[in-house]
Amino acid sequence: MTAQMFFISFFGIAAVWFGIVVFRTFSMVRSALALLFSQTALGAMFLSMQAEFLGVLQIMMMATEMSIMAIFMVMFMMDPGGLGEMDMTHQKRLSLGAGIVSFVAAVAIAVFVDWGPAASSAPDAAQQTVDLGLELLGRSMLIFETAGITILTAMIAATAVAIQPVKRSNEHEH
Amino acid sequence: MSIELLLALITGAALFGVGVYGALSQTNLVMIMMGVELILAGAMVNLVAFWRYLHPDNPAGQMFVLIIMTVMAIEMAVGFGVAIARFRAKGSVEMEEATELKG
Repeated sequence: MTAQMFFISFFGIAAVWFGIVVFRTFSMVRSALALLFSQTALGAMFLSMQAEFLGVLQIMMMATEMSIMAIFMVMFMMDPGGLGEMDMTHQKRLSLGAGIVSFVAAVAIAVFVDWGPAASSAPDAAQQTVDLGLELLGRSMLIFETAGITILTAMIAATAVAIQPVKRSNEHEH
Repeated sequence: MSIELLLALITGAALFGVGVYGALSQTNLVMIMMGVELILAGAMVNLVAFWRYLHPDNPAGQMFVLIIMTVMAIEMAVGFGVAIARFRAKGSVEMEEATELKG
């Protein structure tokens, strides 16, 4: 077993385990933290797959995103600490069946498809970043710019939806 | 096929399965969003693995991962916007109570 294989397995198992913990704990703050650990383990998995830029980006982005999620959890949940052990699930058997079927189908595709010969090495971290930068500002610029505009639109739309409607009293009516 | 690619794809499949279970079984909007995040994370692992083990010289594979990250951020932003609006209007983000559009 190579070191890369070991680290991919280790961080993969950690990511899946923390993913399961998200839905097993009663405490919503623990759920958000488990999701943070799951996503961080994924970032570490990217690093072990020599995708340095994406690994670091994943860890940084998810740390921020999940911290915000934990705050929202405390704000919106009836029992954020999970002390009441409220069951907040429905159609459990159907969901479990759908989850298992999708897992088995995806694994079957992964195992039975001939993916061709695997590449033994990847470009080093600096070269990867240069290549990605040139890709984003060259051939894929339209896609990249569209993603930027879409996220800006989503931010404005989310703020517009979330903002408290102001009730204006029209003084000129009377 | 390399074992590393297979391990990464199985991890992606497992995350996808856990995410599907979470998105379907949870009644709270924020928990449903967590399930969707795991589904997208599963897709992301596959993309990184395909880039690394099949086409490491083509940076377009990494670009797709950035797009998935954008989708995750958009999902969070819009989801929380809807959650705030719902909480303000109804005092809860329990989706079992959201039956206004039920036919």
